[in-house]
Amino acid sequence: MIGVRSLEKEYHVGDHVVRALRGVTLDIAGGEFVTVVGPSGSGKSTFMHILGCLDRPTRGQYLLGGRDVSTLPHDELARVRNETIGFVFQGFNLLSRTSALENVELPLLYTRKGAVKAAERRDRARRALAAVGLTDREEHHPNQLSGGQQQRVAIARALVNEPSLLLADEPTGNLDTATSHEVMEVFAKLRAERGITIVVITHERDIAAWGTRTIDFKDGVVVSDEQHAPTMGSHRPVSA
Amino acid sequence: MKRLRALHPSIDIGFKALTRNRLQTGLTMLGITVGVATVLAMMAVGAGAQRSIEQQVRAAGLNQLTIKAGNWKPKTEDSGGAVAHQGDAEDTMRLPVDELMPALPDAGDPFAGAADVLPIDFHPEDDPMEKHDHPLAWQRLGDLEAGLGASTTLSFADAEAIRQLPGVQYVAGGVHGNARVHYRPEGGAEKRWFTRMHGTDLHLLDIKRTWTLRSGRFFTEEEQDDKAMVLVLGSVVAEKVFGEQVDPVGKDLMLWNQTFRIVGVVTSASWVVRPAAGDDEFDAVYMPYTTTHQLLNLTKLNDITVTAASTGDVSALSKRITELLRQRHNITNEKPDDFTISTQATRAITTGGLPPNVAAAIAGNVKELERVTLEQLAGTLERASGTMRWLLAAVAAVSLLVGGIGIMNITLLSVTERTKEIGLRMAVGARGKDVTRQFLTEAVAISLAGGAVGVLLGLVASYLISSTLRWATVVSPASVFIAFGVSAAVGVLFGWYPARRAAELDPIDALRHE
Repeated sequence: MIGVRSLEKEYHVGDHVVRALRGVTLDIAGGEFVTVVGPSGSGKSTFMHILGCLDRPTRGQYLLGGRDVSTLPHDELARVRNETIGFVFQGFNLLSRTSALENVELPLLYTRKGAVKAAERRDRARRALAAVGLTDREEHHPNQLSGGQQQRVAIARALVNEPSLLLADEPTGNLDTATSHEVMEVFAKLRAERGITIVVITHERDIAAWGTRTIDFKDGVVVSDEQHAPTMGSHRPVSA
Repeated sequence: MKRLRALHPSIDIGFKALTRNRLQTGLTMLGITVGVATVLAMMAVGAGAQRSIEQQVRAAGLNQLTIKAGNWKPKTEDSGGAVAHQGDAEDTMRLPVDELMPALPDAGDPFAGAADVLPIDFHPEDDPMEKHDHPLAWQRLGDLEAGLGASTTLSFADAEAIRQLPGVQYVAGGVHGNARVHYRPEGGAEKRWFTRMHGTDLHLLDIKRTWTLRSGRFFTEEEQDDKAMVLVLGSVVAEKVFGEQVDPVGKDLMLWNQTFRIVGVVTSASWVVRPAAGDDEFDAVYMPYTTTHQLLNLTKLNDITVTAASTGDVSALSKRITELLRQRHNITNEKPDDFTISTQATRAITTGGLPPNVAAAIAGNVKELERVTLEQLAGTLERASGTMRWLLAAVAAVSLLVGGIGIMNITLLSVTERTKEIGLRMAVGARGKDVTRQFLTEAVAISLAGGAVGVLLGLVASYLISSTLRWATVVSPASVFIAFGVSAAVGVLFGWYPARRAAELDPIDALRHE
């Protein structure tokens, strides 16, 4: 599913060159539930951005579904994001004064064939909301929803275009423990039911326990990468 | 609205953004509204000025040309008087009374305060119908002697042929002379008035744009076809014969011992021309030229008056008429025309306020005077109105610029406010051009909405300008479209930069933006 080879990323901050990634090589198979951990500045966010095609590596190769996407132009990267990747953010990033349903429809406005027809958008958004258990919240605006519900709307939005990869950047960072586990439960269920590859960045060890593999970043390199049986979640028996 | 929104999601997004901050949107719209209203009002004033200039030009007869029978040169050896009144002399049948009449003073009413009975003892032949004991000059010699001299060249058929030419608006053939009219009220003393007689075409009223009917009507086509005994009086004749209080329409008037029924009274609608005794237009009577022809046993016309459909076309039309008439009259290449085409300009010089010798000098020395002057005059007026239009356009452009800056400002603000949203949209697959389109739609929606209100406001402003300031304004559908189009263009122009800036945002930075 994912293969990165000698991935390097450098930023120029004034006269300084910041080396965020210093050669990362790893593979992620389809259906894995990977958690990425590491302290601030370890390069995990940069790694995530490159995986999400939001950024391009300075050097190295990134193969997504067998296709080298490390040198694609901006518009092509936008297509890849639209079709194969779903994003979940720490701050939910829902459009305010816009209903849950309309928020979920958003990726369908930017498909390869242009915007999906309104009726079909509605239909698909409804199904995505149902998948995260929010059928009864379709017309609610973000400010009428709890944090956990908002994040589930965001997950529905990430799912609506049926991506094969779900990237979550600190998805539970703004949530209390109970809600955090509710959200992780949704991820685990999606992976079990749909075989979606999930990569979650977190700095909470107990969140990392939901995954099947934990990758530890430090100073731009991977310091540990271990497979493990998920210790949490109702779908533990499902393996990679 | 729903259908429009369904048309494209970015339109939908645009409209949502507009409703999100109503006050800001409203104020920005106001900028465009004022700009568009200014554009429309200024265009209306400009077009109004243009039209009133055109109307003045037409009213002055600048689109009018006269074809006279014969081709006479001015008598340059004369003291000048004959030259200055060449026009009058030419288009008048040389009735013997011309020699008997004392020269009329140039201005004023020569008979003011005098009795309404002419003091001069006329030769009987000034009233050709009065005596039947010997043949009249016209009966003896027909057209040849009837003041037309050797120039019995213009016929009704010529007039009809000219009517068929492209660019011709109206054609009126005419026969002219002097005549005495009699009116004998019941039990009262007979009143007589010596005046001009015009046998003319019913289209004359269309040609004379400065005329208006004081009462009654002009003669009709049937009356013209039937050679009806009808008269239209100039207002001076009406006043001299019937007095100011009496409406002569329906009364009978004697002319050449024949009874004519008066059907209308014409007078000047322009404050420039005041009807006065002795003038050619209102101290005159009009009858169908067919009637004149029959009564006087004539077949030819003294002149043909033509108006061009457009002012600038007079020279070209003059050329076409020349070609046509030369062909019709079988004039070979080397022979001179047997007719003379003149326009209002030559007349202005030869019959206007200029001293006769000056007029003679100008008319004699400036070749094709009428053509040059005509177009120069029209051109000067148009340049003047053109300058004014540019000035107004500049005012409108400045107000639109201010409105456009408002649009750019709110769009930039909107981009900044919604940086995070832009990042999110990019993350879920929006390309640069999707983002550009979204913000452009927003800018254009604001400017179009502002433009729509501006068009309404502009219409109201134009109306107010014409009703309170009494300036002529013309709002054409084209100017409404232009004003609307300009507002859309302003939206695109000033929305472009902020929209591009939004599209060029780095998705990661945009997502992190707080």
